[in-house]
This record gives sequence, structure tokens and C-alpha cells, in this order.
Amino acid sequence: MAVSWVERIASFLRSPSKFLSCTTAEVFLVEVLREQRDDRVTYDVKLIMLSPLCEYPTLLCPSACAGEETSLELMSVFSNCPPKHTEFRCQLLLGLTGVLVATSCVSARSHASQDFLELLLRLVQDTYYDPHADASSSPRSVRATACECLRELEACCPGLLSQHLELLNGLRQQENSRHHQALSGLYTLVLRNAVHLLARQTGAGAESLKALLGGNAVSAWEAEPDSVKPIHRDAPLPSVLVPIGAVPTLQTGPECKELRSILSSLLEESYLLTPLAQAALLHGLTEVVAMVSGVSPAIFKAQLLRLLGTSKVCLFHSTLLMKAAFTDSLFSAEDEAFVLKRLVALCQHPLLATADKLFYTDCLLHFPENRPIGGADGEEALPVLLTPRLAAALVPTVFNDTASMLARLKLASLVYLEEEQEHGEDDRVRGGGGGRGLVYLYDHLKLLLHIVEHGDGRDQVVTFFRASFLFLCHFSHMEHYASDLQRRLCALYLQHTRLAPHILNLVDRAQDGPVEPGWAVDLLRSLQGAVVTAGVSPSGLSLTDLHWHLRVLARVAQEGQIGQASTVDFLFAVTSSAVDTAPWSGDWHLGSDSLAVCRQLLTHPGLDALLCPLADVLQHMASHHGDTDIRDHARLYYTLLTTLSQEKLGGVLALRATAAAKEGRQDKKRSLSSIMVESEDLTSALTVHRARMPVFQLVAQDHPGFGRFSEPTQTCDDDSGGPDADVLSAYRSQLHSSSFASQISLLYELRYTDASPPGFDQLFSIHLHFEPTDGHYSELADVCVPCLFRERTSTTPPSSVTLTLNPRAPYPTTLRCSAIFTTQDELTWHSALPDIQVAFHQLFKPLPAPASWAPDLRLRAFEELWDEFCRSGEESGEREDPSPDRAVSLLCSQLGDAELEALVERHFGPYLVADQGDEVGHKVLLFLPPGSHMLLKITPEEDAVQFNMATDNWRLLPHVNSFLRTITDWEQHNAVGS
Amino acid sequence: MSLRALWIISHDKGEHVSMRFSRRFPTVEYRAKFLAGTSYQAVPEDSTVLRLLLTELGLVDPHKPYVAQRDDCLTLLEGLQNFLCGSGNKTTDSDGLACRLAAMPSVLQQVCPLGTPLDVPQAGGPFTPAVPAPPGSPRQPAWRTGHHRGRALVNVALTEMVRCMQYGNPSKQDLWDVYGTVTCKCEVEGVLPNVTVSLSLPPNGSPLQDILAHPCVTSLDSSILSASSVDDGDASAFSGPYKFPFCPPLEPFKLCSYTSQVPVPPILGSYQLKEEENQLHVSVSLKLHESVKNTFDYCEAHLPFFNRDQMSSVEVKVSFGHLDVNKEKNLLVWVLGQKFPKSREVTMEGGIRFSGQLPGPVDPLCADLTAYIKLYFKVPDLTLSGCSVDQHSVQVYSNAKPKILTCRELKSKDYFIWNSSGPAPVSSGRMML
Repeated sequence: MAVSWVERIASFLRSPSKFLSCTTAEVFLVEVLREQRDDRVTYDVKLIMLSPLCEYPTLLCPSACAGEETSLELMSVFSNCPPKHTEFRCQLLLGLTGVLVATSCVSARSHASQDFLELLLRLVQDTYYDPHADASSSPRSVRATACECLRELEACCPGLLSQHLELLNGLRQQENSRHHQALSGLYTLVLRNAVHLLARQTGAGAESLKALLGGNAVSAWEAEPDSVKPIHRDAPLPSVLVPIGAVPTLQTGPECKELRSILSSLLEESYLLTPLAQAALLHGLTEVVAMVSGVSPAIFKAQLLRLLGTSKVCLFHSTLLMKAAFTDSLFSAEDEAFVLKRLVALCQHPLLATADKLFYTDCLLHFPENRPIGGADGEEALPVLLTPRLAAALVPTVFNDTASMLARLKLASLVYLEEEQEHGEDDRVRGGGGGRGLVYLYDHLKLLLHIVEHGDGRDQVVTFFRASFLFLCHFSHMEHYASDLQRRLCALYLQHTRLAPHILNLVDRAQDGPVEPGWAVDLLRSLQGAVVTAGVSPSGLSLTDLHWHLRVLARVAQEGQIGQASTVDFLFAVTSSAVDTAPWSGDWHLGSDSLAVCRQLLTHPGLDALLCPLADVLQHMASHHGDTDIRDHARLYYTLLTTLSQEKLGGVLALRATAAAKEGRQDKKRSLSSIMVESEDLTSALTVHRARMPVFQLVAQDHPGFGRFSEPTQTCDDDSGGPDADVLSAYRSQLHSSSFASQISLLYELRYTDASPPGFDQLFSIHLHFEPTDGHYSELADVCVPCLFRERTSTTPPSSVTLTLNPRAPYPTTLRCSAIFTTQDELTWHSALPDIQVAFHQLFKPLPAPASWAPDLRLRAFEELWDEFCRSGEESGEREDPSPDRAVSLLCSQLGDAELEALVERHFGPYLVADQGDEVGHKVLLFLPPGSHMLLKITPEEDAVQFNMATDNWRLLPHVNSFLRTITDWEQHNAVGS
Repeated sequence: MSLRALWIISHDKGEHVSMRFSRRFPTVEYRAKFLAGTSYQAVPEDSTVLRLLLTELGLVDPHKPYVAQRDDCLTLLEGLQNFLCGSGNKTTDSDGLACRLAAMPSVLQQVCPLGTPLDVPQAGGPFTPAVPAPPGSPRQPAWRTGHHRGRALVNVALTEMVRCMQYGNPSKQDLWDVYGTVTCKCEVEGVLPNVTVSLSLPPNGSPLQDILAHPCVTSLDSSILSASSVDDGDASAFSGPYKFPFCPPLEPFKLCSYTSQVPVPPILGSYQLKEEENQLHVSVSLKLHESVKNTFDYCEAHLPFFNRDQMSSVEVKVSFGHLDVNKEKNLLVWVLGQKFPKSREVTMEGGIRFSGQLPGPVDPLCADLTAYIKLYFKVPDLTLSGCSVDQHSVQVYSNAKPKILTCRELKSKDYFIWNSSGPAPVSSGRMML
């Protein structure tokens, strides 16, 4: 049991949506809560079972009401849990916090959340130390956890604990054990939130602050709720240090002795906290001082050296936040220079980890200057004090790891760009070589290039191209470097054609980005020249090289400014040699690549001049290429070229070019003309995509009452008026005839699930596939539904699905269901549907006797079957071997007459054999395909109703019992309700 | 700063990727929803996260400029990584990892119960419970997880590393520097014990730069932090003693670290490698500086020959020590042992031939005549900066008089001597100045 729960929880956590598709959140929650109350379950297992509630509270408690109920349950579990299970109790508190916050119970101040708050405050004040607590397994005490829970509640619902400020301050000051950290953290947050809310209130000042700290403010702003600005009062408060909007300020004048002394005491002992807790405390206090005009930032002065000298990133970061908040009211110009120098030193400190150094390098680009010059908030800029001399410590070298090298390159580029701009004029006179810094950077880039030329690591290649892009972003306006880099890239390409995607990607990015507009086109022109000059000789050119050459030329052909005559010549050489001797003769891929170039040429503005040679190329391919497919497409292009005017041609082919531009080079439309040359696009069209969540589901068709009224019975119509003598033989003979279809048809409607992902608004050709989960049913036939639309008009008929089951044995079952369908963008999807539960009562059918049988014949059949089933075992050997499966049973239930009548009508109407005028009670015959019978005699006795049962399949008895219990219970409740 | 979710993913060189642990913090998610407003994005399910991450890693998007990590989750992540994988590059055995992963829920309950990190996990033993102290006793630091009982002992170890780039080329300036770490282990009684360690320099020593102190140091003097390695030669007059008052954690910790500029490298070398008809001619000389004590724990010079075939014949003579060739036949190891000869100078001369089919390791910085010698050595009881911790300068304010141990050593780190007859990469911007 325990093991299976551990496994179930693990499977839930792996994928909650998958897990919940097999059950419901409600059922799972009930199970989890039941286990929590079960004394036989160990606390280790109970602890694990809390995980779903701790991590996914909104999945299990989708409503505030469910959250409230669950919390009450969990709190009762907490009160019943022996104190020694510390870890479990802590986890329970965390879980409760999660449930109450996430279901908005706390912000709504629900009863459960008030109770929980009281419980937490009680726990926080409880200093009793239990020496028997399970300290070895859990170092954390319930008290510290309660503190953290309070802190989280306050963070999610600011102001929640404002009234307890004085209490919390007292607790914080008394505490000597390690828990003072949790209490200080909690107090700081409550103080910060209280001050923040007060600062937003008009008219609040020193008096309100004093009242707040003294704890006798009945939440100052609650007294005058109208004065609060129209913000969501319980929404978490954003940091005031984020550079968005003005900081709310509380005008207090110099009179805030109380606050100052509280802040001083918190700061003095801040070194006793762990660095992370210290950083959070400092952040909170920085915000408080930023908002209260009466406290000078100088209060932090005593901490600064300690913080700046530390090896911890988070503490240094706190000082940068202070610097951003207080600028020269805390940091003099001298201090600023010191901090910057320190930061530069940290960026390259040999004893710091790479991640730390990267963080510091980033801080340099966001350095909070005392007097920032221009530059929008949050944008990267160079601090004025960062001189080239200082920055020389941070130039990139090949000994850096990739990330550091790129970060340093970016920084150094900014530094030397500034230097170039200052000395630009002299430089132009000198001939454009640039300063020593720039020369160094370019040498560095050449070194990276050298490494790429001699190695084949993907990392090195990627690094080089990233570095090139960075360099170009800053220095592409310098002719000398821009053209030299072009030359080197061309040479690199000819040496390693496989780098074409990198180079083309660099071209694309250069065109998108801040690189000089002409640079990318110039590079493409150079590449065209290089490729064309290299020429086509089957001996010197591999198939791969040629493939990349054509890819490059296709990209070159997209540029209207570049003349394409040489490209067409090259194409002709390729296509004509292809048919003769070259190893690529008849190659589909190569043909496709060539066609891709042709296609780009067809939309090129200089097409007029290319008309004849291009037509030659296409004609040659159309008649001589070794691949039929290529010939067909070449013929299509040839026809388009020779019959359409250039405007029309542009119109036909440019459709997808504009679409591509809009979609950022990832078009979704696929037109016939491009379907073969854009092979990457084709992949998505030919792949079956997998939907993460069920898009639609099968919902059983609504019908009145509990039961389901079966469709008209499929029976064999025979013309005879019915057997006179042996009713059962006649009945059985038709039962065994081949035309008797022992099937069950169930009616469903296909509907979108409530949480169906967006984008599936119109679905077509839905192919439903079903799989039985047990051996009681034969395989099911697939079902097709033509379409399903999310927006349903009143005239749209519901998409009905009839499911035909072929039972081997009549037991309830679960069917797995999946679907393949097409969306309006022509993609094919596969999606799982929620399982279909087939209930026992859905298997009922009336007596499958010929339609011509009169009611009395049916009654006779009932009586004879009844006798036969009851006789079994007693008078064996009479006619045929009695089946060992026959059985009789009795179930009693407390039902009134009216309730009984209602129940029979509701659930057994179609299965009643006959109403006996003279006899009290009902006879019900349930036929369960393929061949089981369940006979019921329902008779009201003095104080109860008796359900007498006889069957030829005793395995059905538990199902019948459970069914009868359910419907009688339902009827009883219903009677009470009405 | 709070975390919305935490994942631990393991992989073996990009393969066998699996998610070993995951945890979500719904209350942080609740806050994120409010604070992010319309730009809020839900955290996907674990399988999706893993898939997206893999896609991202596999994606070749070479021209996206580097976007630096702006999130100060860094500290916790780094801490967790060290906790899981052990510090440094030690490969952890799978059992140990599994055991630590199993402890994750409990560790997280302690250091990050609701998504807001409070501390980094301690690799050491379990915490002791927070026992209430009698009123009036000092406050227990949150990071000091218990009390020491038993004999008082303070151990201060100073390790200095020397880095060096020697080019033997007038156009390229040789570079070297040292950096040091002071590691302490303090076993002293009391809730808030107070210890002071002082570092001192010789009379003519250059000041210690870029000092980083452990957060347990209670106060720092501004003169200690004034010297910086990136300074424009603004030599600080301060030359110690450098006092660090602190309340020690129970576990061993790095009290402080520094960098320093020293006038000469401990071992001066020259390396000449030339192509000569089918062989490489090697000529090396190493000279131990007279100020350095001639007692080594070990001293070796490694001459790698990468991006080449295997070495087939090594006809090289050394004036001192002996030569080894590694199994892969692409590395020459010159073992100098515990001492240089009296002359303090050693040489190597000879030719090496290459043949064979097995390709050796690839290293872009060791191709053709771009070649180097890397020195590995360790000298006990020496620092190049002259920095030392005097046993008597360690002050402990405690009832019991503790035993105090101090030691120091010098080690090489990235100590390169480049082939002066070939191109060599620049290692620092300082060479430009």
C-alpha cells in the first residue's frame, strides 16, 4: 500500500496532467486526505503525500471553497499529529500556506486562513523547546517554519501582519537562538510592506508611522479605506528599487526616532545572518529608507566596507542596490570610483567562479552611477569612470571560457568604440587602422578564426561567429575592418563549405541588427564571386560543396542589388554537367537545390536581363535531368517564366515571401510552387504533432434520471406468433442464431475540453481510436467525425459518436481513447482523450425476445428462467447440466412505496417484464450481452423492500449489489431533498 | 528574490539526460502572477521544461549576443551545484549523488521552504537543533550551526598560487602574478567566539590586492581594501598587518583571499622548438630564482605535442632529472624531483620524431609551433608575496587557551613557458599597456 502511494505520488509529480487524465483531481484529493487521517500510514509516507498539495495546490483545489475545506482538514491533521514528527509538521504548514495563498483564501480573509494565521502566531510565540522532537531527521523547527509561512503570507498579502509589528519586534529582540534570523526577516518584510502602504496613503506622516510601530494603529489605512489609491489592496507589492515610476514617499520630517533605532538594531546584527538572508534584509531596509524621508541613508554607512569586501555575490549586489537607490547621498565621488574599481577587479579575480565573474561583468554594464548621463533605465551603458586603461584588465583572451570571452568582448567593444569616436578624426587621416585597443580586438577575432580554420568543434565555430557579430555590431562602420572580415569569411567558406549556415545566419542577423546596412550585401556579393570563380569541375568539387554553394547562391539571389548573371552561368554549368559525367547526375537533392536558386531568380528585379539564360537552364533541366520530379518542377517554372509577365510571376511567387517576412522567416503557408524546394517546411507538414493536453472529449449524451434508456432492442423478428410449448427453447434458439447481435451501443457527443489549448478552433477528419483496457471486450472499430468547431452556431448539430461494444463478458470497463485530426493550418495532430468509463448499468438490455412475443410470453420466459436459476444445484441432472454459475441473492433496502415506484420507473422501466395487476411488486429482466441474465423480483415488505435476484452468472452479483445500493441511496436522498 | 521552480538535471556529455529532482513553489507563482501582470507565463510541466531546455542547448543560434544572467539566483544555484557535485571538478559517484538527491526535500525544507532561499545547503553533517540560550547570552549566528565542545584548536593555512606566461620574445611582455587563500579551521568554545587573524608582509613587500573576505568577518578597515590589481599604479602605502576579526563557523572556511604582484617569477625558462628535416628540435632551459628556497614537494615540466601523430623517437638529453613519455605518446614529462642542482639551472636538448596513425588530443592552443611548457611545482613553507601568518598574531578571545597551528605553501597554476620561435596567444590586456 505504502509503496504504491509513493509511486503514485511520483507519477503525479512527473506529469500532473497525465496523471489526472486517468482520475479526477477531486477523487485524488479525497484519497490523499483520507490517507492523511489514516493511523496505519507512516508519517514518512504522509510526508511524501503532501507533495502534490505543496507543489500544485490549485490543481487539487481549483476553487476557494475547495481550498478552504482542504485547509480545515489539514489543520485538523496538524492538531492530531504528535509533536515529535517535526519534518511532517513543517511540511504540513508549508502545504497549508500554499493551499490558502494559491486559492486566494488569504486575500479573501477566509475563516480557515484566519485560523491558520492564529495557529502560526501561536507557534511563533511558543518558545518551548521539545528535547524529544525528531531533531536528527529534521533540523528545522516548527517555529522557524511558522515564521517563514508568516513571511510568505505577508509577501502575498501585504499588510496582513501590520497590526502585529510590535509583537514581532519584541519576539525578534528576545530571541538568542538561530531563529532570530527568521524573525528578523519576517519583521523586515512586515515593516517594509506597512511603510509602503502608508506611503501610498495621502496625508500619512510621522504620527501614523509612530502608531504603526507601536502596534496601536488599527491598520492605519483600514480606518479610512477610501484614502487608499485604487490598487488591488492584497496584491503583492513590487520592489520600489526597480526603476519604474516614482518611489512612494512618506513625509515624516526628521522625527522618526523609533524607526531609526529599529533600523540601527537590525543593521548592527545583520552580520549574524546567512549571506542570503542578509541580502534580503538589506534589500528590505533599503526600500524602507528610500520611502521614509526622515531617515538618512547614512545609516547604512557603517556596513558598506564589510559588504564591499565580501566574497559573496549577493552582499555585493545589495550595495549596488543601495547605490542605485541613494546615489550621492550615500556614496561620494571617491566612493564611486572605489566601487567601480572594486567591481573591475572582481570581474577578473582568479579566485571567483566563472558564474560570479559573469554576473559582475554584467553589473559593470548596468553600473548605477551617481550622475548617469543619458541612457534609458535598464539599458546597457558604459560607466563614465571605466577608462580604457582600467578596462584593459578585462579584454577578451583565448584563455577565457566562451561566455566570459563574449561578455568581455562586448564590454571591450563598447570601451574602444567610445575611444574611436573620440579620436575618430585623427584616425581617418591616419588611414582607418584604429587605436591599439581596436587592433587588439581584431587580432583576437583573427585568432578565433584561426582556431576555427584548424579545428572542427561546434563550440569554437559558434563562438567565432558570435564574436564576429559582436565585433560587427560595434565596428562595421570602419571600412578597413569590415572589408577585411568579409575577405576572411569568404576564404573560410571556401575552405569549409559546411559553415554556410553559420555565414548565412550571420548575414541575416547583420541585416536585422545594428550592423552597417551594406555590409551583409557586400559579403553576399563576395561569396557569389568566390563560388562562381571556383567554378564547376566534377573532379574538384564534392557533392556537399556544391550543395552548399547552391544554398549560398539562393540566398544571394534574394538580394535585388546583386547582379545574377554569373549565378545563372554557374547554374547552367551545374545542370549541364549534371546530365553528363558528374557524380551528381540525376541527384534529386541537387536538382532541388538548383530549383531553389531558380525560384529566387524568378522573383529577382533584374529578371528581364536573365530571361533567356534562365529559360535555358530550366529547359535543360526539364528535358535532361535524371529525376522525374525535378523535370516536372523545372517544367512548371519554365512555363511560369515564359508565360507570365514579371508582375504576375512576382504575385504568384512573392506570396510566401511576404508571409515569410511577416513571420520572421518561419512561414506557415506552403504553396505548390515552393513545396519541394523548402524541404524544412515540409517536415512540419509531414509530421504528426503531439498535443500535450486533450483537446476534446467524449461526453455521454444527456438523458433524464440516473439510468440510461437503451435503444430499441435488436431482436430477431420471426413471423410466427410464438412458441406454444417450450418458451425457453425457442428463446434460446434465437439467442444462438448468428443474426443475433449481442452488441451494446453507447451514444456520446464530441466536445472541446474546458482546458483545451488555444489554436484548435477548427478541426477536420477526426479519427477516433479506442482501446479496451481489459479482455472483457473485443477490439473496437475506429470512428470518424468529419469536423468539430469551437464556435458553434445554433444550427450546427452536435457531433455525435456512437460507440459499439462487443462484450465477451458483461463487466464495467474503461476504454482508452485517442484521436488523429487535422487543424485549419493543415497540420496533423495526435491527441489523447480522457478515458471513457463504461458503467455497469450501461450494459443493460431488455429481454431479447422476438418482437412478436406477447407480454405473457415474456412473463413465461421470465418465470421459467427464474425457476431454472433457482433450481440449480438442487435438482441436478434433470434436463441439462446445471451451470455452476447460477446463483440467487437477496438485498433489502429501506424505501417507501413512492420511492420504490420512482426508482423502478427511473431505472428499470424498459426492463420490466409485466405489471401484475393482482400481485404487489415488479419483475425485472436484465439481459447483459453476450448472454447473461439478471432477474429481479422487487417486492415491498413490511419495513423494507426486498430485491430478490437470480442469475446465470454469479460474477455479476457484486456489480448488481453496488448498482442497487447506489440507486436506492440516491432515491432516499432525493426523497429527503424533495 | 524568490524561485518559482527548481530542477536538477543530470546528463553525461549531453547524453542520458534525466530530470533528477524538481520542486515548484506555488506561493511564489501566485506573486509572479500579480507582479508580471499580462506578461505572466506559467511554468511548464517537467517533461516540457526538459524538452525545451534540450532544444535550447541543441539550437545553433550563433549570432545571438550574449545576454548575461541578471538573476541573483546564482548564489543558490551555485551552492546547490557544489552541494550535489562536490566542489571542484570531482566526479561524484552515482550512489553519493542518489543519496544527496534523496535528501533534497529535507534540505530544501530547511534552506528554501517557500521559494525564498535562506541559506546555501551545508555539505557537512546535520544541523543541531536550536537550543534556547539563557537570557543575556549573546546571539547565535544563523550560520553557526552548533557548538564546539572539546579541545580548542585554531588552524590557519596559507596557500599561494603563482601564474605565469613567459614568451621569451621582446615584443611580448612576460606576465606573472600570485594569488593566495587563507583557510581556517577553528574549534573554539562559545556561542559567539571571537578570533582575529593577522597577515603580515616583509618590510619591502608589495601590498596585498583585491582582498575578498569571508562574510563571517565582522569588520574591515578601509586601508585593507584600498589596493587593487586594476589600479593605475597608484601604489598604496599600506603594507599590513592585515587584521581580520571574525566569528568562525564550525566547518573549515576560506577566511580571505588576495592577489599580489611580485618582482620576479620563481622559475625563469626559455623554450625553443624548431622544425628540422622530419623532426622537431627542442631546446629548453629553466632557472630557479635565487630568492626561492630550493626545496620542492615536486617539480615537473610538461611538454605537450598535440594535433600531431604520436612521438616515435625521442632523442633528448637532460642535464638533470629524468624524462618520461606518457602512454598516448603525445606528452613529454621532465621530472625534476625535490631539488634543482646547485647551479639552480637545468637544460634539455634534442630531437623528436613523429609517426603513427593514432590521432592525439586536439588543442587549438598547441598546434604547429604554437607550443608551450607547463610547469607543475609545489614549495612548502614559502610564499612569493612574503605574506605570512604568525602563530602569535592569532588572537582568540576564549576561556580555554587554544592550540594554534599555521602553515603556508606555494603552488604553480597555469605556469606557461611558450615556444619563443613560434606564435603565442596573448593572455592579458595588460600586455598592451
